[in-house]
Amino acid sequence: MNPYTALLPLPVAVPLLFAAIAIMVGVSRRPRAIQIQKILSGSALVINLVIGLLILSYTLTGERIVFQMGLWPAPYGITVFADALTGIMLTVVGLLTLLLLPYAIASLDKSRARLGYYPMALLLLMGANGAFITGDLFNLYVFYEVLLMSSFVLLALGGTPSQINGAIRYVVLNLMGSIMLLLAAGITYGTVGTLNMAQISERMGMAPYALQALIAGLLFVAFAGKAAAFPLFFWLPSSYHTPHPVVTALFSGVLTKVGMYSLFRTFPLFFPDLLVAWQPFIMTIAALTMFVGVLGAFAQPTIRRLLSFHIISQIGYMLMGLGVALTPGPFGVGFGLAMAILFLVHNQLVKTALLVGGGQIELEMGTGKLSELGGLVTSRPLLAVVFFLAAFSLAGFPPTSGFVGKLGLLQVTFSTGQYAVAAVSVVVSLLTTMSMIRLWQYIFWGKPNPQLKPRPRLAYTSTRALMLTPAIVLVALSLAIGIFAEPALTVTGTAASQAIDRAGYIEAVNPEPAPTPAPAVVQEVTP
Amino acid sequence: MIEIYLRLADRALTPVIVVVAIILFLRGHDYPGGGFIAGLTVAAAIELQILAQGATPVRERFGRYLLPLVGLGLFTAISAALLGMYQGGFFKGIWLKFSILGAEIKVGTPQLFDLGVMLVVIGMTVTYLLRLTEASEQRSNDVFDGEQQMEEVDA
Repeated sequence: MNPYTALLPLPVAVPLLFAAIAIMVGVSRRPRAIQIQKILSGSALVINLVIGLLILSYTLTGERIVFQMGLWPAPYGITVFADALTGIMLTVVGLLTLLLLPYAIASLDKSRARLGYYPMALLLLMGANGAFITGDLFNLYVFYEVLLMSSFVLLALGGTPSQINGAIRYVVLNLMGSIMLLLAAGITYGTVGTLNMAQISERMGMAPYALQALIAGLLFVAFAGKAAAFPLFFWLPSSYHTPHPVVTALFSGVLTKVGMYSLFRTFPLFFPDLLVAWQPFIMTIAALTMFVGVLGAFAQPTIRRLLSFHIISQIGYMLMGLGVALTPGPFGVGFGLAMAILFLVHNQLVKTALLVGGGQIELEMGTGKLSELGGLVTSRPLLAVVFFLAAFSLAGFPPTSGFVGKLGLLQVTFSTGQYAVAAVSVVVSLLTTMSMIRLWQYIFWGKPNPQLKPRPRLAYTSTRALMLTPAIVLVALSLAIGIFAEPALTVTGTAASQAIDRAGYIEAVNPEPAPTPAPAVVQEVTP
Repeated sequence: MIEIYLRLADRALTPVIVVVAIILFLRGHDYPGGGFIAGLTVAAAIELQILAQGATPVRERFGRYLLPLVGLGLFTAISAALLGMYQGGFFKGIWLKFSILGAEIKVGTPQLFDLGVMLVVIGMTVTYLLRLTEASEQRSNDVFDGEQQMEEVDA
């Protein structure tokens, strides 16, 4: 057996194993327990990143890795699957969680650590990894639930009234999305008689159009809701600013992006025809998402509220990429999807860098209110530079990754003739730039507020350095993607061409042709 | 003040429920049952104890074991899955067959996995149940008078 096949379940197994040990260790009240949790967490994250890199390096050669859980053949057992798109996501999320560990160690208060931040962050990682590698629709739903539960605990960790308020909104609205996903899985099973993604892909074309549209619609609502697209984004700004900043940074890099990944995975695989037919609809949603998001950002009074509206706005660009996913271009058939994947990665890096930097200011100064901050450029010059670079990468200035991503997306959108959406995306880029300049100006320019004193606990040079490291690494990566755009595009191009190659996916999973015909319900519904 | 019939029901039913849970757990591999359902059944037994004896003695008896139980359960479940890698794959079932007094008994990693699930379910569910009692105790102390407290205990 291929050694990489044995590696494939580990992105789920390793975080779960270490989280279980960390929970048992955490029962002890001694301060040593937290130290051990940190070490466990660090080892799990390093192992996870190494596995992610190994899977990525193997899949980039154009190979796919398939493993059948418990060695049960495909439609009966659960398939786990990795191609380059999976590899990219595993690596990026693994890197983000690893980078956020020193930040958490430096900034997290003892009570939150004792309540279980470290095991819960590992369980969140496990949920995300599971959603990336699964090849089974119901299993995907299960991993979304794992994500939801662990993120709910992380949001409520600390238990301040605003956190509980945000967490309840978050969990109620996300449960509705989960119900949509469950409904879609149920209707899929009733329609095509399977939940294995390869088999769904094989049979979906035979289903009546009405049912195809129903399943696609439910899946779109579920995933777009999880990704915080218009009009289902309102859970995000009402909850993301409430927890500890490290939790917000973790969420922005992982949660909404899993929803986006699921859209990239399922739509080209299940509904290649609908993806073309529904292009105007997806493009409209994309335009509204980016526009409403960026307008909302202008009205926000605090750093993290402002940045959470930008998360929504940027999701619009990725949806734009989904809309043009199957449009060919200079880097292959799925050039649109390749650009969307590049933009997704860029956004994970840059958004997390911004939230990490903004969170650091909020923690040190004790407030995130833009009206109270100011003049930090003299006392924190390095942070000011890093934040500036991240902000301009988000806005899409060369030579950053944002420029490459936006330019590519704009090119594809133009070549498909979606001029209106392309125009909206340009205007939104301009507005994003304005909003980012405004943010930077409020925090770093002007006169320092004499009443704001940095909190002593976070004022040590070593603590500051630990908290600044993730932002520096992330911004450096963003610049690297911008400067070495061609290799980066080759990578995402491979991922995209694998993701839209349905025949290759089906062949790799190789499900047994099950004898069960589609149930009678199908015929009743057909007009 | 706790009703006499609840206390009687507790003494009579709790052992029965636990035995039912064990049966559900053991038949779960091929028939309806398994770790999740067995875990919920055990939690139901503990809930009966909460109703009959009040939350405080139950919390004193089980409270400190609940979180370790969740960790242990997760660890057991994932270990069962990882053991399968020894025979070729994650989650591959490994079975041991032996006979005692002529009856053939099969023990395997799927049961170990189920055991883990059961421990997690017991730990989580009982934690929730105790938290809910805590909340209602607090509320009744704050807001309600004695008569309404009685009604709540009855319900």
